[in-house]
Amino acid sequence: MASTFLRTLEITVISGEDLRNDRRPIKKNAFAVVRTDSYNSRRTDMDTDGGSYPKWNQKLVVDMSMHAQFITLEVQCKTSLGDKTVGTARIPVSDFVGGYVPESYLHFLSYRLRDHKGERNGIVNISVRVKVPEYASCSRTELGIPLGMGVALGQRNFGGGIVTGVPVLCNYPGKY
Amino acid sequence: MGNCFSDLEGGKQAVGGTQQRPNNIAATNNNNGGHNDAVEFFFRSRGIQPLFTQIELSLSASNLLDRDITSKSDPMAVVYAKKRNGKLEELGRTEVVLNSLNPAWIEKVIVAFQFEIVQPLVFHVYDVDSKFHNVPVKTLKLNDQEFLGEATCVLSEIVAKQTRSLTLNLNNKNGHTSLRNLGALTIHAEETVSSRSCVEMVVHCSHLDNKDLFSKSDPFLRISRIVESGGSVPICKTEVVKDNLNPIWKPLCLSIQQFGSKDNPLIIECFNFNSSGNHVLIGKLQKSVADLEKLHIERSGANLTLPSPHHGHEKVLKGQLFVDQFCEKQQYSFLDYISSGFELNFMVAVDFTASNGNPRNPDSLHYIDPSGKLNSYQRAIMEVGEVIQFYDSSRRFPAWGFGGRTIDGTTSHCFNLNGSTGAFEVEGVEGIMAAYARALHNVALAGPTLFGPVINTAAQIAGQSISFNRNKYFVLLIITDGVITDLQETKDALVRASDLPLSILIVGVGGADFREMEVLDADNGRRLESSTGRVATRDIVQFVPMREVHSGQISVVQALLEELPGQFLTYMRSRDIKPGPLHAASTSA
Repeated sequence: MASTFLRTLEITVISGEDLRNDRRPIKKNAFAVVRTDSYNSRRTDMDTDGGSYPKWNQKLVVDMSMHAQFITLEVQCKTSLGDKTVGTARIPVSDFVGGYVPESYLHFLSYRLRDHKGERNGIVNISVRVKVPEYASCSRTELGIPLGMGVALGQRNFGGGIVTGVPVLCNYPGKY
Repeated sequence: MGNCFSDLEGGKQAVGGTQQRPNNIAATNNNNGGHNDAVEFFFRSRGIQPLFTQIELSLSASNLLDRDITSKSDPMAVVYAKKRNGKLEELGRTEVVLNSLNPAWIEKVIVAFQFEIVQPLVFHVYDVDSKFHNVPVKTLKLNDQEFLGEATCVLSEIVAKQTRSLTLNLNNKNGHTSLRNLGALTIHAEETVSSRSCVEMVVHCSHLDNKDLFSKSDPFLRISRIVESGGSVPICKTEVVKDNLNPIWKPLCLSIQQFGSKDNPLIIECFNFNSSGNHVLIGKLQKSVADLEKLHIERSGANLTLPSPHHGHEKVLKGQLFVDQFCEKQQYSFLDYISSGFELNFMVAVDFTASNGNPRNPDSLHYIDPSGKLNSYQRAIMEVGEVIQFYDSSRRFPAWGFGGRTIDGTTSHCFNLNGSTGAFEVEGVEGIMAAYARALHNVALAGPTLFGPVINTAAQIAGQSISFNRNKYFVLLIITDGVITDLQETKDALVRASDLPLSILIVGVGGADFREMEVLDADNGRRLESSTGRVATRDIVQFVPMREVHSGQISVVQALLEELPGQFLTYMRSRDIKPGPLHAASTSA
């Protein structure tokens, strides 16, 4: 039931480029934190020897509310004084939701990171795929509607005011 | 007049199965035909894949004319490349088949496939008159033989077909259709590269010696293959890691064509990069690909050595090489995708801004010369269109204009070139030329030069097509005479489109200063950035000003096309999209 108002995102944080701490390239121990709201965040492991070009290639699965307009990605670095934020990117949800491509499209995206002063501080490369729940994708195929046309069905309908039933066939495939 | 008797002994010769008769003509042919080792090694040592893909043509014919009196014809086929000046250059010939009007020749003819040019081929079939026993086929004088028929086609027509086979009717020389049925010729194409295997490795070194004075070494690796003569030929080089005695390099991908076999010894040298070009050797080792695989499995390191000035001895260094990742994979080629049904869809956008000049004026870039001489716009459309059209089975191309004032009085930055309000496609390259000529009468030149709307429309088409099938890749050609006025919007549109199956070719015509445009073509490594902070996923833009002069056979515009197979492959490989099942070889269409 929790999935009615949430989307599940598979975000693979691939790598970072040219990350600096006070203008000097960082040596090691960079990690990334993906935050969809104050309750939902995931982080990658630290890259212990990647330096200022860390490679994580780590998939994070995180839920996101249907309302969300942005998700944040922070690259932090573990130092002797604690975790320091190297740079942040604000990723508009519209970059991977909506648009012309099908909902389950694997997006390869890259973003400019900015430090706490707002200055540019490197680039982060990620891939994002919206996990389409089983029954929603099943019903779309059944009706033969090209994905991406945004027909409201079941959970996709939040706030639309149209009442639509979830096809029973798909929920209980064994029975029919 | 034919002989009374065929050369029986000639017909009994072995072909193909025993001693390989070298196809000498193809081997010495420098531009199109030949396998030129030196050129390939030159490119590979710089980390660039060889530009040419070798294609093997297998020929067969049916219902040939019977020229001999008491027996049937003894046919042989000759393959030519038609050069730009119309001259024919021989690429190779098959063997002679005894007594057959439906020969299936065994000897293959090798042609180098180049994506970016149109490669017209001409085939001649002869009835061999003279004795061909023990005579190298290439010494047979064609003028002494009986001509049986000619066929022509373009190489990409054959390779783009799913069956990779094409059957053509034979005609008289120069294409005149014969009153008699001369029979048909079938050509089947295969890439000679039979193995698609390649090895992807991640290597790192530890405890390298420091060769720099005030900082640490800047190491890079160079891998060479030992050739039969004893020397070595470089096959690849890693990037330089600055200031690091324990460098990890980006993944290396070596194809089986580069290293030959897993047991071939490879020399791995680690140099300290010096901007003067005098790279100092830090150490080296000799390992085969199989040895490197063992290093990976055992998680052990191999020590580098340095040839010592004291004769013969090698100093074993503390530095070691480790193989962190090792995996064998199949790397499909561009033609693998094409012949399994992938398509390149061509779209074109023409600049209708006022800076082109009034089309009625002979000075205008849009002037249509009644003598038939093509203007810059027409040339660009032809040169790109005539290459790409073979890769699109529908031959329906979206065509737009931008910066013009259409009949209804509004200035549009993406209007249909064919003048219709709904349908934006035209048929064939001829359709584009016709729509362009008509539009010049109906559309008034206006401005400013904006690319954003056209790029967004093309991106929409590319994005929407993904829902229906994954085997289309789109190529948008934008021809413009001026510098764009919406640089940031264009960058935004390009960044948004960079994750789609789309490449954009921009040709600049006329005399404007296009330096600003070159920033869109991120060849210098600076990725495009949008106003929202998003960075382009990949470089999808190629820009070239038409007035650049290129020597050689490839025009400036066609040089744009060279990058296309690479961009296509990058997109497919990054998403792990593989070609469909490859069709079994068949000699008949």
